[in-house]
Amino acid sequence: MARRIIHLALFKEDQVDETAEALEALRGMGIVDRDISVISGTPFSEKMLGRPMTWTRVPIIAIAGAVVGFLVAAFLNFGTPLLYPIRVGGMALQTIPTSFVIFFELTMLGLLISTFIGVFVESISPSYGPAGYDPRISDGQIGVLFWAPPELDPKLHETLTGLGAEIIHGTETKKLWLF
Amino acid sequence: MAEQIKEQVNERWGMVIDMNLCTGCNACVTACAMENNIPWVGEDDAGYGRGIYWMRIQRYWEGEYPETTPSYQPVMCQQCGHAPCEPVCPVFATVHSEEEQINLQVYNRCIGTRYCANNCPYFARSFNWFDYSYQIPEPLNYYLNPNVTVRRRGVMEKCTFCVQRIHAGQEQAKAQGRAVRDGEVVPACAQACPADAIIFGDLSDPNSRVSQAARSQRSYTLLEALGTEPKVIYLKGEGTYGG
Amino acid sequence: MAAEVKPIANTLHTPSEEHEELREQLMFDPRPREELNRMVLDSMTHTTPRYWTAVGVLTVLVLTLLLGMWGYLIFTGIGISGERRPNYWGIFIVTFVFWIGISHAGTFVSAILRVFKAEFRRPFTRAAELMTTFGLAAGALWPLIHLGRVWVFYWMIPYPNARWLWPNFRSPLVWDLLAITTYLLSSTIYLFLPLLPDLAMARDRTTGWRHAIYRALALGWRGTEAEWARLRKAISIFAFAIIPVMFSVHTIVSWDFAMGMVGGWNSTIFGPYFIIGAILSGVSAVITILVVLRATLKNMTYFIRPEHIDALGKLVLVFSMAWAYFFFNDYLVQWYGGHDVVRALLSFHASGPDAWIWYCMLLFNIVIPWLTLWNKKLRRTPWVMLVVTLLINVGMYFERYTIIPLTLGHQRMPFDWGEYSPRFPEISLALGSLCLFMLLYLLASRLIPMVPVWEVREGQEAHLVRKVGKTVVPTVSELD
Repeated sequence: MARRIIHLALFKEDQVDETAEALEALRGMGIVDRDISVISGTPFSEKMLGRPMTWTRVPIIAIAGAVVGFLVAAFLNFGTPLLYPIRVGGMALQTIPTSFVIFFELTMLGLLISTFIGVFVESISPSYGPAGYDPRISDGQIGVLFWAPPELDPKLHETLTGLGAEIIHGTETKKLWLF
Repeated sequence: MAEQIKEQVNERWGMVIDMNLCTGCNACVTACAMENNIPWVGEDDAGYGRGIYWMRIQRYWEGEYPETTPSYQPVMCQQCGHAPCEPVCPVFATVHSEEEQINLQVYNRCIGTRYCANNCPYFARSFNWFDYSYQIPEPLNYYLNPNVTVRRRGVMEKCTFCVQRIHAGQEQAKAQGRAVRDGEVVPACAQACPADAIIFGDLSDPNSRVSQAARSQRSYTLLEALGTEPKVIYLKGEGTYGG
Repeated sequence: MAAEVKPIANTLHTPSEEHEELREQLMFDPRPREELNRMVLDSMTHTTPRYWTAVGVLTVLVLTLLLGMWGYLIFTGIGISGERRPNYWGIFIVTFVFWIGISHAGTFVSAILRVFKAEFRRPFTRAAELMTTFGLAAGALWPLIHLGRVWVFYWMIPYPNARWLWPNFRSPLVWDLLAITTYLLSSTIYLFLPLLPDLAMARDRTTGWRHAIYRALALGWRGTEAEWARLRKAISIFAFAIIPVMFSVHTIVSWDFAMGMVGGWNSTIFGPYFIIGAILSGVSAVITILVVLRATLKNMTYFIRPEHIDALGKLVLVFSMAWAYFFFNDYLVQWYGGHDVVRALLSFHASGPDAWIWYCMLLFNIVIPWLTLWNKKLRRTPWVMLVVTLLINVGMYFERYTIIPLTLGHQRMPFDWGEYSPRFPEISLALGSLCLFMLLYLLASRLIPMVPVWEVREGQEAHLVRKVGKTVVPTVSELD
């Protein structure tokens, strides 16, 4: 699968409409959405490009983190005073009003840190779409990466260049991160 | 849990200070300093307001000059039942002792946030701004009381009702197989008071001298409206001896 | 895109005559992304001798005024400060509250304005977020500096000690620790997440050590749909979640005082009062920094324009009014129905030996902003805004000074009334933390893209002009 040649069609910054058309054309040629990936320097929603919705586990990881934070807070609030009971200021050992502060802070801490962990883990996990990159993407250009059978080559060229794209074959998968 | 604690509690130490008898002589302040290893901070710092006192004589002037009369009031930690200093400490360095029903300061646990001192409406707390224990010249360090911790720099300290004397009294009574007798435990200030203005004892025993004195019509506590439930009770003076 | 709406991005180099006045706005003065990238990178790599002099001087000042003095403080004792009975808290806590207040702006600007889709935020969210992070870094030092025994500060961290005793979770100081940790971590992450695409941009255009740093930090960002969707999701979780965290932080700081039994502190309005004060000083500091950035950082006159300072100036005016409202609320209620101690305290503030601080607070926080910020011309004059916002921050510092030492010194036992005046070590440490903040900011301004290029570009693509009758009006389309 990794042997397959990755094509990259680069569109100019303002050619969003053309990109959407190109994606339509590629689908018309029998290339499935799974084999296409769009990269861009500014965010475009899936709806603009007519692409299937992407999914992410970040919200679930975030909620899981919040639950962990809540449980830790419950232990700190109501567990630790029992482990070593010390009376202060005529208060009960386990005070409910003050517990809200701890619950809030630790739940939020869990939520926010795990959101970041979610982003981090998903970012460095391998992606299954066609890899490939071009520095012009961060100049705002829109890139369409796809795998296509060799017999489609002439047709691809005609359609995509007709829409104003620049086509790069076998775009090198440069090392973008540490490993 | 609560019942267990209740069983342990048998004494409720308290103090009555009769303002009619107090002459403002400062003997209690001196005795307290010697008993509790209270450091001498030096002239400059004491003048700047850094003197360490576990108790002090508050002196107010009443009347217009030249018709003025002084009024004296010894004030120390009031050993509050609902102490405002306790819950604010992040590390439980000041806690309510279930055993003696007083308010304790754990020097080794203190990290020096000074929150408790702000929150004490009686200003009963003193902070070790510098390491004063090193300033004691050579032979003088023999005055230090071995029963009391010498505090280092950066910790808060305050009156403990001479808790070391309470413990000594309790242990002696226990060794002889009896209850602590009224008047057996005397803190340094009460012992030193030449006018016998300071009465110390067990408030839970209705017949103790301190309980009887506390039932006087003249009795009041400092800043009663704050609801701190102090264990130090004052007997209002009639201005006879400047008290 | 609908036909009657004309995207500006398509007419990059041909400004039409009738839209000329719109081009004063960054969003209607688009430039190609490539050029924006180049301008931002240029601002990061361009250093002058003046810059290095500033870095050198600040480094020396941080080493001496802050770290040197702190070392001296640790080795001798808190006694070198001016604190004495009954003023157990002084400049240390005043400066702590000040920095924590400053740190509220970043979140306010980039989270609240993001949630409400205030478009003018786009070019300076990063600058404001950096202020949050560095303000917190400078502020988080103070509880440590303040401690009598800083070498055991970790006893506050929630873990059991050798005798299995945990910290006291009923103490506002432990809440402080948790809230500030939460806020510091989450605001740092919130700074980092929108930075990812910009780091990737910098990675693609740099070589050598810079490239190595950006490559590591950009986490292999390519700009795929999944990455953008994930980023958008994470940013929106953060934008919504960090707002209550921000509110909680300064509320808890105010509770350090309000939970106490000190007359004048024990007020139910302290939470919101402190938050408003924090946002007032924070937004003012954002303006101060934007004016300085605009004047000193290369290419910033394009990104940061009078319109932005104008918009923030309006916010400052609103928050100055809100601050006055809360101040008056606190004042009148305490004066009318309060205990004797609080009444005595209020007259002490207004007529005691340090009354000038109280009057300067009112002058800088209310009178000056109310007199100047009504005026659009003044709001659009950078140096005026610099002066006004600096004065507001001085005023806010005075507010905390009034609340802390000037209140502690005048409590229920007249025998223990006392005055406080800071001594050199405290002033040195306070100035040192200001130098630390400026140094961190100076260094960061050359290390990370100060302008979120992709957000600016996204905004420029979202802004269109629409012809209504005989005129054109700006419109914004929601691209997300």
